[in-house]
Amino acid sequence: MKDLITIGLPSKGRLKDKAISFFNNRGHKILQSEKERNYFGTIKNEPYIKIIFLHAKEIIQRLGDGTLDMGVSGLDLLKESDKNLQNKINVQKKLDFGNANLIVAVPDDWIDVQTIADLEEVSFDIRSKRNSRLRVATKYPNLTNDFLISKGVTQYKLIPSLGATETYPFIGSSEIITDITSTGKTLTDNNLRILKDGLILSSNACLFIAKKKAAKLQPFLKSFGR
Amino acid sequence: MKSKKLSENIIRTFKSNGFVLSEPDVLLDSDYIIERSGEKFRSSMLTFDREDGKTMCLRPDLTVASCINFLQKKSYSKIYYSGQAYRRSGNKSMDFINDQLGIEILGSKNQIQDDFKVISTILSSAKNIKRKKILIKVGDIGLFKSLINALDMPERWKLRLIRHFWRPNYFEELLKRLEKNTDIDSVTFDADKKRFYEMKKIDQDKLVAGRSISEILKRFDKKIKDPRSFVDGKKIVKIIKSFLKINCKLPELDDRLLDFAKKNNLKKNIFKDFKSILNLKKLNQDINFIANFGRDVEYYTGIVFEVFSGKKEIARGGRYDDLLKSLGAKKNTPAVGAAINLKNI
Repeated sequence: MKDLITIGLPSKGRLKDKAISFFNNRGHKILQSEKERNYFGTIKNEPYIKIIFLHAKEIIQRLGDGTLDMGVSGLDLLKESDKNLQNKINVQKKLDFGNANLIVAVPDDWIDVQTIADLEEVSFDIRSKRNSRLRVATKYPNLTNDFLISKGVTQYKLIPSLGATETYPFIGSSEIITDITSTGKTLTDNNLRILKDGLILSSNACLFIAKKKAAKLQPFLKSFGR
Repeated sequence: MKSKKLSENIIRTFKSNGFVLSEPDVLLDSDYIIERSGEKFRSSMLTFDREDGKTMCLRPDLTVASCINFLQKKSYSKIYYSGQAYRRSGNKSMDFINDQLGIEILGSKNQIQDDFKVISTILSSAKNIKRKKILIKVGDIGLFKSLINALDMPERWKLRLIRHFWRPNYFEELLKRLEKNTDIDSVTFDADKKRFYEMKKIDQDKLVAGRSISEILKRFDKKIKDPRSFVDGKKIVKIIKSFLKINCKLPELDDRLLDFAKKNNLKKNIFKDFKSILNLKKLNQDINFIANFGRDVEYYTGIVFEVFSGKKEIARGGRYDDLLKSLGAKKNTPAVGAAINLKNI
């Protein structure tokens, strides 16, 4: 009998649809439960495979703790996770959907701030004039920290955000933000502008596997190519 | 000597030089420390959440903890501390707990005298316990600043170089950019200029994400006027690099600096503020001046020094004139201090 393989797929939205068609197109027809809100699925004629629909962030966590053997999620979410967790997960394949960039954005009317070098100057200005730090609202504290520090911006403070980060600069919760964007429309519509060299990470959906399960997954993975 | 006896011996020297014990709090407000030291510091602090939601940390460093204590008016200005500091590090072999023993003059009114006092006190405590081949290495962040300010380059480049002097790797990157004359924001401003004129017409006190319209326009205007690129980048980088190579015995320093200025067509008097270092001649001690020195701690602003016994660093310190202000002091409060490295004794 073959070992059971557990696969995590995003539970919502376009990422869910695209992930399902990715498997379908490669001959693994995903069957969802007839109950609309059920979180489990199977693959036609492959009874040793179990599908679980989860939050994209959760998929990374569960790959790390061994609950999942394989999963589809965003590269951004992997890169943002703890180093320990990252060491347990491999990128098996980059997929051609879920493209989005993690970027640094400032209020449109900060016309004097076009680049990270400008941001670095303004942050020192704020520090010396007001003895406070430039506040950066973000859902990605780790990636934001690494990026800003590597670019010489040190005088800032992170403000953790759970959503609608675009509002933060205008309600007094932060001065600037970093956020994930695919078309940039939400930013523009909220009077924010991406810095010219403000690309932190170019992300897309990926097929991830738990490193420890690599051997057992080999036969199944062949159908996906490299 | 056992470590307890050793500390007692050192403390005796501190006391006899007029330093008074300061006992700063062990628990500090974590946000307060981040506000000062930056996000990078967060991962090295040992923190816990209090019931009321406030995050506290174990004091990561006794200099900072003593400064906070001083600002809360709980200590004299000329203090010594002896206790533990708590810090995590990526290096697994490092301990969480560091014994720290040091002195500080907070609110230092006489720079030359206080710099001398701190160094001479540290030196005599070192000599009390280790007589073997004592050597002092000194540098001065102030000298670097004087050099940069005397060079002919755009203001923003000067500030940038001074701000990042303490981060040698990033500083190297800056020099490369300066050499190639590529200021990364040499972009066209046409589109924004239109907005500039529109914004001039609106309420100048209006805030956009914490910055007033007038502040934004002022900086925009200055940016346009500040030269984008200039021809002498290569030459300037060469001067900076050759300055950072200066490494000589203290008695030769005067001549070396004069020589350096002459060779690079700089005015003779650009290095005027290093009396503190020259004053160290009085110590009658082997002292090396190293220009490329004291570049790993952000808060030093003037003299920096390390005391060696043979090859081991047994003490280090320096002047940090801006730290107390950034911790919330109402007025400028210059300070100088040093700590003994007990592990190496």
